[in-house]
Amino acid sequence: MPIADGVLEILRGISFEIKQGDTAAIVGVSGSGKSTLLGLLAGLDVASGGDVIIDGQSLAALDEDERAALRAEKVGFVFQSFQLLPALTALENVMLPLELSGNNSALARATGYLERVGLDHRLNHYPSMLSGGEQQRVAIARAFAARPQILFADEPTGNLDKATGDTVIELLFDLNRSEGTTLVLVTHDERLAKRCNQQFVMESGDLEAAH
Amino acid sequence: MRAGSRGMNPAILLLRDWRGGELGVLLAALLLAVSVVVGISAFVNSLQSALISESLRFLAADRVIRSGQSISDEWTARAEVEGLMVAQTLGFPSMAVTESDNLYLASVMAVSSGYPLRGELLSSATPYGEVRSDAGIPKPGEAWLAPRLFALLEAKPGDRVWVGDQALVISGAVRSQPDTASAAFGYGPRLLMNLADIPATGVIQPGSRVTWRLLLAGEADALDAFTQWVTPRLNQGQRLLGVEDSQPSISQTLDRAQGFLLLAGSLGVVLAAAAIALAARRFSERHTDHVAIMKSLGASRQRIARLYGGSLLILGVVATTLGCALGWALQALFFQLFAEQLGVQPGAIGFEPYLIGGATALVCLGFFAWPPLERLAQIPPLRVLRRDVDASDAQRSMDYALGAVSVFALMWWYSGDLKVTGSVVAGLSLTVGAGYFAAQILLRGGRAMGSAAGSVWRLALANLHRRGTANALQMVIFAIAIMLMLVLVMVRGALVDQWQAQLPPGSPNHFMLNITAEERTSLTQFLVERGIESEPQFPMTRGRVMAVNGEELAAADGVQSERRQREANFTYADTLPEANEIIAGEWWDADTDEAQVSLEREFAQRLGANVGDALELRIASESFQARVSSLRESDWQSMKPNFFVIFPKKTLERFPNTFLTSFYLPAEQKALLNELITAFPTVTIIELDIVIAEIRTIIDRVGQAIELVLAVILLAGSLVLIAGVQASVDIRLRESALLRALGAKKSLLLGALLIEFSTLGAFAGLLAVLGAEMAAWALQTQALDLTYQASPWLWPWSILAGVILIGGLGVLSCRKAVVVPPLVVLREL
Repeated sequence: MPIADGVLEILRGISFEIKQGDTAAIVGVSGSGKSTLLGLLAGLDVASGGDVIIDGQSLAALDEDERAALRAEKVGFVFQSFQLLPALTALENVMLPLELSGNNSALARATGYLERVGLDHRLNHYPSMLSGGEQQRVAIARAFAARPQILFADEPTGNLDKATGDTVIELLFDLNRSEGTTLVLVTHDERLAKRCNQQFVMESGDLEAAH
Repeated sequence: MRAGSRGMNPAILLLRDWRGGELGVLLAALLLAVSVVVGISAFVNSLQSALISESLRFLAADRVIRSGQSISDEWTARAEVEGLMVAQTLGFPSMAVTESDNLYLASVMAVSSGYPLRGELLSSATPYGEVRSDAGIPKPGEAWLAPRLFALLEAKPGDRVWVGDQALVISGAVRSQPDTASAAFGYGPRLLMNLADIPATGVIQPGSRVTWRLLLAGEADALDAFTQWVTPRLNQGQRLLGVEDSQPSISQTLDRAQGFLLLAGSLGVVLAAAAIALAARRFSERHTDHVAIMKSLGASRQRIARLYGGSLLILGVVATTLGCALGWALQALFFQLFAEQLGVQPGAIGFEPYLIGGATALVCLGFFAWPPLERLAQIPPLRVLRRDVDASDAQRSMDYALGAVSVFALMWWYSGDLKVTGSVVAGLSLTVGAGYFAAQILLRGGRAMGSAAGSVWRLALANLHRRGTANALQMVIFAIAIMLMLVLVMVRGALVDQWQAQLPPGSPNHFMLNITAEERTSLTQFLVERGIESEPQFPMTRGRVMAVNGEELAAADGVQSERRQREANFTYADTLPEANEIIAGEWWDADTDEAQVSLEREFAQRLGANVGDALELRIASESFQARVSSLRESDWQSMKPNFFVIFPKKTLERFPNTFLTSFYLPAEQKALLNELITAFPTVTIIELDIVIAEIRTIIDRVGQAIELVLAVILLAGSLVLIAGVQASVDIRLRESALLRALGAKKSLLLGALLIEFSTLGAFAGLLAVLGAEMAAWALQTQALDLTYQASPWLWPWSILAGVILIGGLGVLSCRKAVVVPPLVVLREL
């Protein structure tokens, strides 16, 4: 990134591969560049150099709308701050990505996933009426409902207490197993990282494999 | 159908947003814009068509040919060929004599069947009996008398009365004629008879002073065709009268009222546009995260633009449809105020108001609501991970500039008056331009003061300073809203003041002519004894202008030229009479010996005379010269005696003259007129009470309509203020919640919020009154033909209103920050 005194390198020399169905964790302290890397991996942002290839498709070769189409088809997200839309009910939040991709059975599928995360009694509740753990479960249901090939999770337990966090993690890995999704986690939670097949440590823009 | 089965579409987005409560202000602003524009525009159109027919009522026809000679049968035949309805009237003063030899000079009007073609002829069987409108006209051999004439002649229904050689049976009383004001033939009480009886009376001789009127009514095309045919055939003594000739004083009042209403409508457009811009901006700010999430979930830019564009379009269609309906209801409500009084049906509205309403919605949506929503599509999806990422702001000033230009065009189209539009825009520019820079300076000054003040003030002023640009912008928007409301209040005040000054309660409603010099004192005494105040007496001499600068003017008859000899009432005065203004030359000294004359502007124009010209004048058989020393503009609406030609006392005094005066006679003392006429039989009385009462009620009704429009505009203004406050609520809520979480007391937060918003309000009030004075000055002097007076009393009120309104609204909107637990606030935002 160009700055007044020259060029600021946020990420450098990073190269790794995650196979279909694998789970990978990127750990590191705050400000180490984890979230920036996640943004690039998911195609939310573009790198000034290098490339990310998802399912054989180079992201650098795509423009913003093509990347959006790719996300709609292949990518799911779970965020630290849940990122549910406050004006939509739990059910509508889960339906949203399905509706955006024109899925005809959005309602049935969204209801099914909310049942799987144990929120079938909360379908018509708004996010503000749900606890943090419940909100994150809605977010997980939303992420899996679109049946992505790869799921990116940004500090999924960051805003939750330990017990709730544990429940959410169980749910995330359970669903991941049953759906065969590739999971990329960004976290500073060692316990969470250890549950993944691969672990990478991010430090001042450098990435090292820890496993 | 359930939303999920069809995928995401704009209607679903709209429904969900509606449920989220964020569309309320946007929809309300749009509804208000459309309904105000449609309502006022439809009202003005409807009023215009209604007033044309109303004015025609005063004429008793659509067009009238007035003539000193009998009207050729060829003309009547031609009018009938064109498909027009035709009627004739003949008016002349004549002595009415009863069997018991009581006699009185009556104003006789003979009418043909079909009269009146427009409006109603009201009559009754006995002088004050039950009024009916279906009795037609007096049958041949019959006459209807004005109730007063019954008393003057000591006659009763069934008696006989002679007009010339013809005896007529009194078969009723004439109570009201539509054309009383425009068809005054002499000034006595009315005697209405059938035109068929005229030959038998033998009163019409060559050279008699009579007025023939050919009344015409029908389709506009036929009227125009006949007008075209007849105009070249009119001679000097004949005139074609139309709507504009029927009631000039009412039409000017209504012109100004229409100007005001259209101005109000234009201001409504600006206010609504501002409300929409604010609401849309807030809407888009609240949707930033929404869109970022949708994009992270795979929505493309086009998809987002289509979704929001589509939902805006649906919103626009809904608001336009509802707004048109509401606007129609609004004009119906306005009209109800008039209809009862004027006895007219609402006129045709036409499509134009709805077109303007639709265009307003389109412009407001396109230039004010769409740009911030369009920018939503540019929000990078990365925002889901990093909140500091936002869409670029570069386009904003361009959007607003385009918006301003389009609103200017809309106002222009709407008011049809560049001066009105220009005046408002000038005021707005002053408020926005000077205001914006002043706001920043003032806010910075406030910061310096705040550092030295207590913690509440420090916090408040620090907040003002920190968001300096945003606050300055917000202040300017508040100022615009307050300014536009003030402009309307000021102009309304000037308008109402002028109307009241024009016809204050107790204005003279009767004129007396032909008062001899000997009668002057006793007449004054007569009135004083009965508690009636009369105006000054004006001397009056009938005279004629014969030549200008030695150039003989053509004799009156048979000449087409405008420049011809003119007969007029001459008067003398040492001081300039009321309701007159010198526009050229100078008024004379009271003791001048020079023969001078002051002419009314239009009269002078018709003569082709200017200041310095020498006029040759003739009174009776004596000719004399006078120099034109001044030209005057006379206010003909003042209902005060006005003269075309005024001389210094010494010039005119030597000629024989009579006097004219006016007085106010309340309706309940009307019987006094009989006593007056008995005591002063040669005096002529003109009764204007009915006309004046009619004018006053119309003015009152227009006043009420204006109040109503003002209320609507104030509502629009308040909506802008609410939208403006709402626009900054989120960030203030967040900060207040953080401060509370850090331990700040409620009183500190509330105090700081109050000070912050009140300071904004005070500055906005100051800027507003500045711009309002400028716009009001321009409007009153340039566009509405009113006198401008600064309103210094309004300045403190404007500032106070800003403080109370914006301070109050601000604290009310942000009270959540201190009532709801901080965590809840932070979670919701």
